Amino acid sequence: MDVTLDPQARTFIEVSEVWVPRDGVLVHAQGNYGDREAFAAVSGRESFALGEGLPGRAWAEGKPVVLKEFDGSYFKRTEAAKEAGLTSAVAIPVFDGKTLKAVLVVLCSDDTERTGAIELWAETDGLMMLSDGYYGAAKHFEWVSQHTHFPRGQGLPGGVWSARTPILMRDLGSGYRFIRADSAGKAGLTTGLGLPVPSPVGETFVLTLLSARGTPLARRFEIWDSRAAKVGTTGGAVLIDGICARDGRLWDEDNPRTAKAWEGPIGTVLGSGLPLVMGGNPALTAGYASMVALPIHLDGEHAFTVAWYC
Amino acid sequence: MQKLVVIGAGMASGRALEHLFDTQPGEWDVTLFNAEPRGNYNRIMLSPVLSGEKSYAEIVTHDEDWYAAQGVHCRFGEKVVAIDRAAKTVTGENGTVAYDKLLIATGSNPFIIPLPGHQLPGVVAYRDLEDTNVMIEASAIPGAHAVVIGGGLLGLEAAAGLRLRGMEVTVLHIATHLMERQLDAAAGFLLQKDLERRGINCILQANTKQITGDGKVEAVELADGTVLPASLVVMAVGIRPNVQLAKEAGLAVGKAIHVDDQMVTSDADILAVGECVEHQGAIFGLVAPLYDQAKVVAATLRGEEATFVQKQLSTKLKVTGCDLFSAGDFAEGPNREDIVFRDPARGVYKRLVIEGEKLVGAVFYGDTADSNWFFGQIRDGADISANRDTLIFGPAFQGGAPVDPMAAVAALPPEAEICGCNGVCKGAIVDAIKGGAVDLGAVRATTKASASCGTCTGLVEQVLASTLGGAFERNAPQPMCKCTDLTHEDVRRLIKSQELKSMPAVWQAGAWKTPDGCHSCRPALNFYLLADWPLEYTDDLQSRFINERKHANIQKDGTFSVMPRMWGGITTPDELRAIADAADKFKVPTVKVTGGQRIDLLGVKGEDLPAIWADLNAAGMVSGHAYSKGLRTVKTCVGTDHCRFGTQDSTGLGIALEKALWGSWTPHKVKLAVSGCPRNCAEATCKDVGVICVDSGYQIGVAGAAGMDVKETERLADVKTEEEVLDYTMAFIQLYRENAKYLDRPYKWVAKVGLDWVKEQVLDAGIRAQLVERFQISQSVYQKDPWAEHVKERAEQYVPVADLTKFAAE
Repeated sequence: MDVTLDPQARTFIEVSEVWVPRDGVLVHAQGNYGDREAFAAVSGRESFALGEGLPGRAWAEGKPVVLKEFDGSYFKRTEAAKEAGLTSAVAIPVFDGKTLKAVLVVLCSDDTERTGAIELWAETDGLMMLSDGYYGAAKHFEWVSQHTHFPRGQGLPGGVWSARTPILMRDLGSGYRFIRADSAGKAGLTTGLGLPVPSPVGETFVLTLLSARGTPLARRFEIWDSRAAKVGTTGGAVLIDGICARDGRLWDEDNPRTAKAWEGPIGTVLGSGLPLVMGGNPALTAGYASMVALPIHLDGEHAFTVAWYC
Repeated sequence: MQKLVVIGAGMASGRALEHLFDTQPGEWDVTLFNAEPRGNYNRIMLSPVLSGEKSYAEIVTHDEDWYAAQGVHCRFGEKVVAIDRAAKTVTGENGTVAYDKLLIATGSNPFIIPLPGHQLPGVVAYRDLEDTNVMIEASAIPGAHAVVIGGGLLGLEAAAGLRLRGMEVTVLHIATHLMERQLDAAAGFLLQKDLERRGINCILQANTKQITGDGKVEAVELADGTVLPASLVVMAVGIRPNVQLAKEAGLAVGKAIHVDDQMVTSDADILAVGECVEHQGAIFGLVAPLYDQAKVVAATLRGEEATFVQKQLSTKLKVTGCDLFSAGDFAEGPNREDIVFRDPARGVYKRLVIEGEKLVGAVFYGDTADSNWFFGQIRDGADISANRDTLIFGPAFQGGAPVDPMAAVAALPPEAEICGCNGVCKGAIVDAIKGGAVDLGAVRATTKASASCGTCTGLVEQVLASTLGGAFERNAPQPMCKCTDLTHEDVRRLIKSQELKSMPAVWQAGAWKTPDGCHSCRPALNFYLLADWPLEYTDDLQSRFINERKHANIQKDGTFSVMPRMWGGITTPDELRAIADAADKFKVPTVKVTGGQRIDLLGVKGEDLPAIWADLNAAGMVSGHAYSKGLRTVKTCVGTDHCRFGTQDSTGLGIALEKALWGSWTPHKVKLAVSGCPRNCAEATCKDVGVICVDSGYQIGVAGAAGMDVKETERLADVKTEEEVLDYTMAFIQLYRENAKYLDRPYKWVAKVGLDWVKEQVLDAGIRAQLVERFQISQSVYQKDPWAEHVKERAEQYVPVADLTKFAAE
């Protein structure tokens, strides 16, 4: 299995939180902060207007926003974040058509060893070009990505773009050889999760989460399909792909796992249409310390849910 | 403990062993040979391994631990060289082992087309992990090209995988649509579009000539001369059961190893399973029946009764984001009915095939919800009469969403052009409606949409309906046929605005309710497509009326009439002799001079058509198209050469017009005449286009009639030169070709759009030049003598055919 289980290693993403619109501003809805209690307390008191702070910026721009430096930026919780050792963040807005459902924010700690990548790709002149990205210590891979483009159907960004479906790729080091593999291999990148990010601004975006061997972005990935075209009108979802460092493959062509609305964490996402961040209850998160589930609304329906656990 | 030897560690034998160990643990001493250096893995999941969406580790079914736990003696990477049935032994490359029971599961070998160059390095089949790894290696070169020969299930999965790996991929498929065994043309079309959106190039009806390269693959050459660069060629054209060992052992072998219902071969101690077996004349390539066979094998080995029964099969394509399902039999048949659902906005096509009270086939594209339920209905032969009307909506139907006739228009993007005349897009109309223009008149006044030729009226009304919902009332337009709610004009507009260039594209975008149209819409669509896209669209012979297919007029006794063209009504003694000779030779019972100034040979037998055409061609004559929706005749009077009253060379002009216009397909037949003076001996004033020569030049009249209706032509223009007559006539004919409803004669069309609008187009020098240019482009494709072409290429078509069901009815 290409998902490396290394319980000693710290993960690439340290904090995940969900902000939802209420009375014209984004308010704190959920968060998994681990032992960063002070930052959690500051966050719980915060709210963001349109265009304000990182979540408000993602809302206003209608696309994911990557923030690599807090100092001197529009980030509102800079001091608390610095004290918590957090140095960069990515905000992912969840739109259903033109309606903002929520903003998922993930925060990372920068150091010289932590490797992984969160990339935002945008269609430009018929090609997927890197719009922004956070790579931790994978500086060479960052440079390669900045100088790479993907036509339709090629590579993880091009594949997600043309299939309009989340895709989970294994073994990026050997399988990505046609374009970024050497660098991906050197960076220790193993598993890549790519997902379409619907945007009200009329552009096409693909977000990729690339996990590395030493500092995995997650140890378990799942892709759930809840399109009526797949599961009918009765709702629910089927697991169309998934791998786990502990359980191996999660997919089953003949008897796929299913989820029902409001049953379990994935069912909560299906029922609410909102992202879900959970921590501190391994019984609910496949035995892992935390999970993040992100819904994808396409063509007026809750089409997919991607989840990662670490 | 009984000794079981198994040859082949594939999915079928693996499943048989699972059943055996589950029910009789510890009772069998198993030796398992496998030519591949590994045990059982899920071969059908190699495609996602190729694409990088799965790892090999994930598709391993039985690992070392499993074999060890079951006590299986694994002899992997060792080929079996012989079976000695008398001694009951199997000999591998590394030694002999005895058996009480032997299970042959040698599977199949990929079929390699013996093309020149097929042995070059870089030509691979797609069968096992080694092939997959070769492909992954080949994809590591940036910008590398792959050609996949075979547009079936496996070939397309290979193509999608290679594309995701970064290759430039072309699929060559010999049939007219992809996966023709599992999909109908409509679903095949959607699949092709889907693959093309992924950057995969699909070439249909591709005839591969050779694979070329110096020491390794460099290109694939097609019969039409196309050369495709390739550093990898994947052959995915089918499989052949691997029966060599069984044959050498003297077992009964036909297409594959013969087995009975208990999976026992002609030797009672030897069983066979999987792709290497033939059961009741059938061989197997999908996994479901193999697993059924495996169950029976295990039961037979246990000494229990079990019977293998062949069942209906279903197919899914493992390409991420392609939702496709096919099951049962979906061929057309006399007692079969189709239920079709299309949603153009979502790219959904669903077709159920019903025979009597049973569902016998299903093809779904873009929406595979409930496919297992539908498959169950087919497999079980369930009586569906009680829920026939709602069947297409699946098991959860509760009142269900009805087919939305507005779907096609609702699916158009805001920038889609609705009114071609005034360049008004859907977004502008929607804005006007939202601004208060809530009926057709107001939309016309605000946007000018539908204010000119009016052919987009139906579409504008549909935009009104889809924008206003129940608040809009309109006069229901007459749909084209029972297949669609769209009018002819709507369809013509859709074809242009959506750049639809094939019939499946129109069926999908127009939410056709039938899988492939009917005898009414197919000829119309065929004309619309060839008129709008002469270079891209290929004329579909099967969508033509019988006269146009046979290039002769069928008569009431089943014989045909043959009429060569006589340019402008002028003939020669040689032509007359050739006609007389042909009449004698083929015993033509009636020779008739027609009102169109030519000679008709009536009573020709269908099978004599190619020969009589050949004779007439040899005398320099071409088809008079007396049967076609196209130019018929240009009638002339003798003009200034002979007539005292003639003002111009009417005969010469008539010949020039006929030579410019012949061969062009039009919505209905077109007849012309040129009279040399206003006395009008050629009766030009009741033709579709009639030219009256006068001292000052030429009066061009259009939209006359002398059939069911009689109507005088209306003056289009007065011009001074023959060149102008030709230009104005070609422009008028092209305008008619581009805008009229199929089977509307020009006079009916002009009545609908108004002569003023026609004049605005034809009299504008810029527009006229464009119309003439487009007409000439079309003529570059279609101005060909069909007789000569058919004598050369399709003479066999004129022998009587048995199956006429695929052709449009007269």
